[in-house]
Amino acid sequence: MAEFTAAVYQNEFLPDGGTDVNAIVSVTCTGAGTAGQGGSAAAGEIIIIDTSGSMGVESMEAAKQAATAALAEIVDGTFFAVVSGNGAAFLVYPAVSSGPGMVRMTASTRVEASAAVAQLRSAGGTVISTWLDLAGTLFASVPEVQQRHAILLTDGENNERPGVLQQAIDRATGYYQCDCRGIGVDWKVAEIRPIAQALLGTIDIIPAPGQLRAAFEAIMRTAMSRGVADAELRVWAPQGSQVVFVKQVSPTVEDLTGRRTVVNDLTGGYPTGAWSDESRDYHVAIRLAAKAIGQEQLAARVQVVAGGEVKAQGLVKAKWSDDSALTTRIDQQVAHYTGQAELAQVIQEGLAAKAIGDEETATTKLGRAVQLAAETGNDEATAKLRKVVDVQDADTGTVQLKKAVEKADEMALDTASTKTTRVRKS
Amino acid sequence: MTAPAQQVTCPACGEPLAAGAQFCEACGASVSAVSPAAVPGAESPLDELSPISTPTARDLGGTATPAVAAPRACAECGSPVGDDGYCTVCGSKAPSERDHFEQAPASWVAGVCDRGVKHSRNEDAMALFAEPAQGGRAVLIVCDGVSNSDGSDVASLAAARAALEVLRPPLPKGIGGAASADAVATRVLTTAADAANTAVIAHTEPSSPRPASCTFAVGLVDGSTVRCAIIGDSRAYLLPDAGGGTQLLPDDSMAQALIAAGHPRLEAEASPQAHAITKWLGADSPDVVPRVATVTAGAPGWLVVCSDGLWNYASEPDALRAQLDAAGTSEPLALASALVAWAIEQGGHDNITVALARVGPVPAQDAAPVSSPEPVGENATDDERQVHG
Repeated sequence: MAEFTAAVYQNEFLPDGGTDVNAIVSVTCTGAGTAGQGGSAAAGEIIIIDTSGSMGVESMEAAKQAATAALAEIVDGTFFAVVSGNGAAFLVYPAVSSGPGMVRMTASTRVEASAAVAQLRSAGGTVISTWLDLAGTLFASVPEVQQRHAILLTDGENNERPGVLQQAIDRATGYYQCDCRGIGVDWKVAEIRPIAQALLGTIDIIPAPGQLRAAFEAIMRTAMSRGVADAELRVWAPQGSQVVFVKQVSPTVEDLTGRRTVVNDLTGGYPTGAWSDESRDYHVAIRLAAKAIGQEQLAARVQVVAGGEVKAQGLVKAKWSDDSALTTRIDQQVAHYTGQAELAQVIQEGLAAKAIGDEETATTKLGRAVQLAAETGNDEATAKLRKVVDVQDADTGTVQLKKAVEKADEMALDTASTKTTRVRKS
Repeated sequence: MTAPAQQVTCPACGEPLAAGAQFCEACGASVSAVSPAAVPGAESPLDELSPISTPTARDLGGTATPAVAAPRACAECGSPVGDDGYCTVCGSKAPSERDHFEQAPASWVAGVCDRGVKHSRNEDAMALFAEPAQGGRAVLIVCDGVSNSDGSDVASLAAARAALEVLRPPLPKGIGGAASADAVATRVLTTAADAANTAVIAHTEPSSPRPASCTFAVGLVDGSTVRCAIIGDSRAYLLPDAGGGTQLLPDDSMAQALIAAGHPRLEAEASPQAHAITKWLGADSPDVVPRVATVTAGAPGWLVVCSDGLWNYASEPDALRAQLDAAGTSEPLALASALVAWAIEQGGHDNITVALARVGPVPAQDAAPVSSPEPVGENATDDERQVHG
């Protein structure tokens, strides 16, 4: 049986008149088990492969191998389907035209599905909205599937009028989760990131076809380890207060503020999707009415709810003090993740500026990124930044844009911008 | 002391409890109600001392009643307090029962003991006893735990309760005559201070570098006779409704030493070392014999026993008298609450304890038989107490 714990890191002391409380709530799940094996709800997996004409022979072969490898990772008994997408979406497996669009994984269905994948040929355009919608339809065709996850592979730009893809994302949001991978350098991070963010998934670039198989195996293995189908983060804040933001800050930065659903007058629910044995950190910021020196109050109750049960609770507190030694201290975790969230933001803004030729802004933003990555010990971000800028002084954030940058390096920096590191134990 | 076999743990946090503890030293939870083993024997006289957080506390019977039955109401907004000790609507922290408790053992005696504002815990303590009718006997005890000593919040409460057990029975009358009665009273008050000191030491880790310590202030009322005993800087005032009031005994403090040396009172009390006390209860105390005074309350008024959390804001008897008048009530619990609230308004820099008893001639319409020896028991009804407004 899965268990959750919640630990709160904060400086609860506020100065006279202070209103803003920041806390990092670290949620850890243990005993998650395996997807779909825990109880009444079954798990479902859908593999979506881009078969547009831009997929070259090498990429297509890699995609087939990767899909087959992913099929091998799906635990027997799990419902699954394979979808191919170009200008429209097609059900590759199971070969049905009505009724349930997913079947349980067995030794024989795995062989049949792999055989169907091997027949895929590339042709046509890229209309991703249709792919997402078909996945949603397939999940809906098997009501007992309650834990829904898809892998989406694409290689090129989406050929749709603006807004159409977003509408499809909206239809899928809250219904299934989706990890996204882009192969090569012809796809647009800005187009795919909203899918991954809305559908509580990851995004990454696969620069070379040979790396795809391992990536798909890893994604599917992780998906299969998520024995907790769905969990919600609930944030209670006192009457008259304001929840400034709720962000996941580890393993990646995801702003959940706008994902709030009303639980009751004082409590909002934020989706976190399925859980394996893992830890995630959340940054909660609450604005309170200031109280008198010496008073204490609760700023937030942060709960993890799974299967309708409160599994863990962390208390965020506020104590007003006139002791500046207490009130000026900034919690190490809060400082660290505040820096990491800004890091994600300045990388994305810097790359966007660079893309439109605003070199001055790009230099400033990426310089700040180099500084933040150094300060917060994010070595992966530092390494990726160094492929895009020449660092003169990391401490001050003095950088120059590299004259020649590999497109894949820039995209890798972009897709990895939201990845965070935890506080180093000193 | 209680045998180690009877060691129990706090039902709220699991920390070990001291023998006879009414509060958990670790989390502040009241354990008297939920852990009868902490007070061996249902007839334990300590039971009726359980502080109760509700202002209408009337738990005067011999058996412990649960102090927290239903969800408590938030002091700020009236909404239910959650299991985590914070209001479910406004988030205000509900005071622990050690941080704020009130007692009203009779209609003419009440007290409030409060954490105040600046201190993180309540190291003041209070223990009260009263016969039902005004004109009978009452005991008011205030102990102020010294804040730079370890565990003084636990020690001060133990001290106040130990002293009360000594002072609860009527004093022996002696061989007759006022001088004899005074001598007996002095001896019993000294015994009470000694019992309190023993209780403090019993709650002190032998190896503590800063052994628990506290002050000791007792007000005894028996008819029109008012006695007081003081160690440290907690005070007893006799404040008639008309005419000048008096502080019954001087403090054992540096401020008092300065006053004795000729400095003006307010100047002395504002000096940097003013609050350093020269006598206290505790393992490192050289002298635990209290000063004792006896006066006769000839006119209606109040006996007030308080910690410096109150008198810091109204040291002169007339200043304190003015705050009693400003409270606009003669109901003892309301009056004590008003004085505590006023001290909090002034900044609440220290823990605040106010215990008071109505003294002087009993008004004719509800004069109780002077010979009434019955202590307040379960048969005492609300009506009986509300007669004396």
